[in-house]
Parts: sequence; C-alpha cells; structure tokens
Amino acid sequence: MTYEFKLPDIGEGVSEGEILKWMVREGEQVNEDQPLVEVMTDKVNVQIPSPRTGTVARISVKEGEIAKVGQTIVVIEEKGGQPAPMPANPQPVPTQSAEPRQMSTIASPFSAVLAAPATRRLARELEVDIATVKGTGPQGRVTDQDVQSAAAGSRVVTKPPEDKPAEQAHRAGGPEELIPLRGLRRTIAERMLKSSLASATVTHVDEADVTELIVLREALKSSAEKRGVKLTFLPLIVKALVPSLKEFPYVNSSMDEQGGNIILKKYYNFGIATDTEQGLIVPVVKDADRKDVFSIAGEIEQLATKSRSGQLGLDDVRGSTFTITNVGSIGGLFATPIINQPEVAILGTARIEKRPVVRDGKVEVRDMMYLSLSFDHRVFDGAYAARFTTSVIETLQDTKKLLSAVL
Amino acid sequence: MRRMDADVAVIGGGPGGYVCAIRAGQLGLRTIIIEPDKLGGECLNYGCIPSKSLITVSKLVDRLKEAEKFGLKTDGVSLDYVQMQKWKSEVVSKLVSGVEALLKGNHVTIIKGSAEILTKDRIAVTTQSGREEIPTRSIVIATGTEPIQLQGLERDGQVVIGSKEALELTSAPKRLLVVGGGAIGLEFACMYQKFGSQVTVVELMAQLLPGSDPEVVRVVQKKLEARGAKVFLGSKVTSLTKSSGVAKVELETPVGPISIIADKVLVSVGRRPRTAGMNIAGLGIKTDQRGFILASQRMMTNVDGVYAIGDVSGPPLLAHKASKQGIVAAECIAGLPSAADWRAMPDAIFTDPEVASVGITEAKAAEAGVEVKRTRFQFSALGRALSTGETEGFVKVVSRAKDGLVVGVQIVGPDASNLISEVALAMEMGATVEDIALTVHPHPTLSEALMEAAESASGSPIHQMKI
Repeated sequence: MTYEFKLPDIGEGVSEGEILKWMVREGEQVNEDQPLVEVMTDKVNVQIPSPRTGTVARISVKEGEIAKVGQTIVVIEEKGGQPAPMPANPQPVPTQSAEPRQMSTIASPFSAVLAAPATRRLARELEVDIATVKGTGPQGRVTDQDVQSAAAGSRVVTKPPEDKPAEQAHRAGGPEELIPLRGLRRTIAERMLKSSLASATVTHVDEADVTELIVLREALKSSAEKRGVKLTFLPLIVKALVPSLKEFPYVNSSMDEQGGNIILKKYYNFGIATDTEQGLIVPVVKDADRKDVFSIAGEIEQLATKSRSGQLGLDDVRGSTFTITNVGSIGGLFATPIINQPEVAILGTARIEKRPVVRDGKVEVRDMMYLSLSFDHRVFDGAYAARFTTSVIETLQDTKKLLSAVL
Repeated sequence: MRRMDADVAVIGGGPGGYVCAIRAGQLGLRTIIIEPDKLGGECLNYGCIPSKSLITVSKLVDRLKEAEKFGLKTDGVSLDYVQMQKWKSEVVSKLVSGVEALLKGNHVTIIKGSAEILTKDRIAVTTQSGREEIPTRSIVIATGTEPIQLQGLERDGQVVIGSKEALELTSAPKRLLVVGGGAIGLEFACMYQKFGSQVTVVELMAQLLPGSDPEVVRVVQKKLEARGAKVFLGSKVTSLTKSSGVAKVELETPVGPISIIADKVLVSVGRRPRTAGMNIAGLGIKTDQRGFILASQRMMTNVDGVYAIGDVSGPPLLAHKASKQGIVAAECIAGLPSAADWRAMPDAIFTDPEVASVGITEAKAAEAGVEVKRTRFQFSALGRALSTGETEGFVKVVSRAKDGLVVGVQIVGPDASNLISEVALAMEMGATVEDIALTVHPHPTLSEALMEAAESASGSPIHQMKI
C-alpha cells in the first residue's frame, strides 16, 4: 500500500517550510517514529518522524526546496502484513499538531496565573506562555509590561516548541552548542532589545583634538598619585561633559511616555560602561558635577574593581542620567552605542590616536579622538545633538574651558 | 455549484452559532450559517428570553398580590394570558429579527435548512429547494442540545410537556408536576406557582439544583415549600397513566410510594448533545461518554478544521458560554491567537429568589484540599433589600485563606443574576476580598451585600457582628 506523507501543520501560523535534510534515501527501509526529515520554518526547526513503516518510494521535495503544509513530501510503500495497520481512509497525520486534545475547561481558580484577561490575550498575541512569566505587579500579578519583557526576551532566544528534535542538534559533538541564556547575558539581551525598540536612535559622530587633554592629564597625574588614585582620561571627560550637559539639558533627560512628558534632570549621574568577563555592566558615578576629578577617578576605579569581582550593589548600578562608553581601548574608529534606558543619550569615546590634521592651513600631528553620540531623536533633534557635541569638543580643545570644567 | 465555497460553515443558529458567524463575518471570512428552525436557537426562542419574559410577569403578579403591605390597594389582579403570550412573542421576534439583521450586515449567508457533515471540508445542506453540497474550509458545530426523553414520560404536548410547551401555556395548570429539579424545572415551578398552580417537584438527586451550594438551594426550596409546593428529593416517577386529560403519577420516594394527580407534567430531566448528521463516527470526532464533543481551548475538535462550540461541546449549558466560545472559534479560524481561557463562568438561575454563582463552592474547595474562608451577608440586614421588600437570601464569598483570593461567590436573593457580574470581573482580574471590600459600592444598593461579605472575609465588617 502506498502512503503519501504530507507536510503536517507544524504549529500556529506556519504555512510552509524549507526541507533542510532528509534522514532517509529513496529505496531505504524506514520504521514508524524513525526520524524522517528536518524542516525549517520561519519560526522553528523541527524533525519529523515517520508515521509509517515501509520503504521510501519517492522523495517529492528535495533538500533546500520549500514545501507547503499539506503538500506530499514523501511516498512510503508499506508492505503487506506490516505491523503498523493502515486505516482505510488515510488522513494527513498531524504528527506535530499544536492542537491540544483535551476538553476546554475553566481554569481552576487556585492554579491560575494572576493576570487580567487583556494581559492573557496579549500573552497569546506575543506567543508568551504566561505561566512562565514572573509577575511584578501586586501579589505577583503579571502585568502587560511583564508579558512584553518576556516577549522581548524570548525573541532573543529562539525557543523551539518541541524540545526533542532541537536537543538532538545540540547534543555533545553536534553541529550546534546550546548555551542557556542566563543571568547577566539574559539581562543584557533584554535591555538591549528593549532599548532598540524603545528609542528612535540616531548616532552623531565627530572628532575632538585632545592634545590639551593629554597635557592636562600629565599635569594632574602626580597630584592624583598623591591622593592614591590613578588618573585616566575617563574622569577628565566626565568633568568636561558637565558644562555641556548643563547647557543642553535635553541630553540629560528621560522620557515619561505615559505622562507625555520629558523629564530634565538637574543632577548628573554618569553611567560608566564597563566590560567584565560576564558581560557589560554599567556602574554609576553619582553627582559628578559636585565632585572633583580625583574623587571621580577614585570612584571609577572602585566601581571597576567591584564590577569585575561581582560585588556591585544595586545602588552602584542605578540612577544614571547619561552614559559614557569607552570603545577605544580595544580598537575601531568609532561605534554606534545603544542608549542605556531610560536615558536619552550615550557618548562613545574612541581610541586616542595621533593623526595629521590641518591647523591654520598647515598639516599638524595632533592627538585625535572620535566621539559618537547616540541619542533619542524623539527627545531632541540632530542640530541639537551637533551643538551639544560641538560644545563638548570646544571644552576638550580649549585649555581655559577645560581647566574650569575639570578643576 | 450555486454558492461560492465558504471559509466557515456554522451549523446551528443559536447563541453560539450566530455569534460565531457574526464574528467570522467581521473578520472577513466567507461565512454561512445553517439553521433549520428560527435564528437565535433555544435561548432566544424557547429558553432564556421567553421564560424570563413570563417570569417577569409572574413576579409582577406576585408583588401586586402583596402590595397591600406597602399600602397599595388593587381591586383584584387578573392576568390576560393571551396578551401575555402575545407580548412575549413580540419580544422574541424583535430579537430574532435583530439577529438576522446583524448576520446580514456582516455578510453572513443564512441558509434555512438542515446540515450534514460529509467530510471535514464538505457539508450537505437540505433546504426546501433541495439538497446541495458546499465545500468549506472549516466547520463549526453549534447544534446545541435537546431534552432527554424518559421512557414512560414521553412528551405528548398536552399532558406531558417539555419546557417549549410550558412557555406556550395559555392558562396556569391547576396541578403541575415538575419532574427534574434542575434550573429549568425550578424556574417553571416558581413561575407557575405565582400564576396559581399547585406545584410538586420530583428530583432524583438528594438536593434541588444539583451541584449548587446546599445553603443557597435551601433558601429557594424553603420559599417554594412555604408557598405550598411539595418537593420530593431522592425520588423518581415509577409510572404515569393518562385519563381524561389528567395524569396519575406514581412516585417512589424515601418515605414510600406516593400517588399524585397532575393536570400537566413538565419533564425537565436534562439535555443531551444534538449530533445527528454531524458524522461523528465517520470523521472520528472524539466525544465524552455522554456524546458531548471534545474541543480544545481553541474550540477545535480532534479533526483539523472542525470546531465545536456551545452546549454540544459539553456543560455547563449556558448561552453566554456558547457565545464566548463562538467568538473564540471564529477568531482562531481567522488565524488570531484566541483561546477560551476564562477563569470565571457565571451562572444565573431565575428562581424565586434568584440564584447566581461564579467560581467554586466551599465543597469544591474542600475537594481540592485548599483552605478557604467563607463569609456571608444576609440581604435582611441591607437597607436596599428592606426598602424593596425582598429580604430573602444572602451573598456568600469563598476566598483562599492564605491570601484572600476570591475563588467563588454564591448569591441567592433579589437580582442575584445582575449582582454576579461584578464577581466575574473580580475573578478574571484575580482580585482579593480586600479589593472588593475597599471598592466603594453605592448606597443604597443590593451590591453592598457583596462588599459586606468581602469585608467580613478581610476582617472588618461594618454592618455585621463578628461571631
């Protein structure tokens, strides 16, 4: 008897799939439940077992081709007297059907997740299993936002609905390795995606002549050493930024979407993007406008140590109003940083390099540094960003301004 | 082929089917609905709507009879049954034509005829003009239920009647025997008692309204009996003989055999799924032991593309449940991520006094092994109830002991059917008794009873002494 195996309905909304790999060849014997074919859809990869025992008579869809749900992909010739009996009228076998086969009942009021009906609907729309979402509302109630965060998180991890086939690909020695998304990586993943979705980000790039800054750092080095701190460029840049942030208050702000307001912040807490073994951490130097450069240097040093040894407290990482990320220490011209929410701007400082520049009609060798400011275009515009950056560059390049900012 | 192929063929035009078809039409699906009788189904034509019309009249009659207490003098009350029936029919036909207009307005093709399922994508429809086959992408079975017939108690439409005939009576039977003390039987028992019938109720189980909270049922039974009805629990009919327009019925009761003469015998002993022509066996559609079709949370049966909603998909047999399931089915067919995921399915019974409930009872909580608190508030202590002269009954709140989560509320009393919706919302939102207690309820209203019962549970009742 001939059995035509049609591509089953793999899951919600999947109408077609690419045949990735046939596990059997034409003419081969295949047993019921033996892996038959691997199919890739826009959502998941699934391995489909054979619903029948017999001989593979014909493979109708080749590897790399697209098959529609319901299309015959393989013909299996069943031998008479095979142990697997065949119904008189073969129906397409929904091997992987997502349809649960139980009666619809009312959820027990005891076991149910605490969430409003509209939140439950949102979870379905975003394909989030609400039972797995941790609620942050009163008494652990799952809020719309919790569902949205969970959805944002799961978009980073492609979660296959069927664990078994995926596991096989990821088994030791397999072509893929499975790294569970946990801890800091998961947090970063969620935050970064959330930020890219939340802001209308534009990156403005310029370069600063930091020759004067190097001179100043050299001049202050010994004073710093006396106080027991190592003076890097970072605390100097922090101090140099404060006057410009005061002049351009929208850069040091956040957006209150619900209330429809922009909140200008009259305090200057700097997030310092720090690379650690586990990943990116952003400790915060608070009230930089009211601290001298040496205190800031000391704090940055301390925070960096704490970051790397995993000893940061919650207070060390929250409340920043503007973030600096030094992307230059490893290499690259400049980067386009992602905004640290709920801030509206982040400054990337690149490597300091000697470059030929034109000064008064002559080529001179100066110490140059690219600055890239990523900002939320919802809050201010490109011209404002350019003026802010220009103001920062003026401070860095002008000895007087630099001194008055830093000291 | 005269008609275009359909995306959805809805079989049955009741509160499940017609709502499903409207939603499907709204979602742009090519929808047909097949109904052999009138649109609106049992609910609109032979159930909820006509019965509530008559019950309203019966209550009015009853209130007028006691009106002297309020100082209202009437020169005797008389009821024109013909006019009452005419008014009831007007209410029904107004709603039925409304349903038809909504279906047409949403581009649903209405076919008056009976349907058979041939395969999972083909149905046959028999109308006055003949039989035709219609290919369809999906099928929604919304055929509902029909009354169970008991051997020896077959309806004859004259002496032995069902709920359908009970709604058409043009006079109150002098002696009415109600076989089956469920929701339908008791509603009629209370109604005809008000119209003047001498009522007897026979129920096989040990309590009326089986499954309901016993304390609640006691209030209804007490009132029924106080007004002269006889109630036989744990009893059954052993024989029925008809002669000269009356029935002689023999009962087997816990106190021995009893013989009763009745002018009408209303049989309401439950309903069974109506699945004839649905090709259940041929398609291998799974059902439970009683023949109710099993459906998933998306209302789909085990056969791809074949859905089942409403009564035919199993109890509770409620019009509002059918409608919600119809919406879910239509949305799923349209590819939307809809699901029957409600937490609370309220239930209202229009006895006297009314009974309404949502969630679970104390007994069910005990079965589940969960520690609950149970608090009550009597309507007799409520200003509004006193001022309307309807003081029977209470509100009972069942909440989880450890955190006050509302898991069930039972109400017996005036307007219970309207009061229960607040609890349904509370349960859907996962509210606690504190949430209800802290919500301001307007004074003077019956809804204050729920607030008071919730206050008791959260430990600070104002109008109730703590025991």
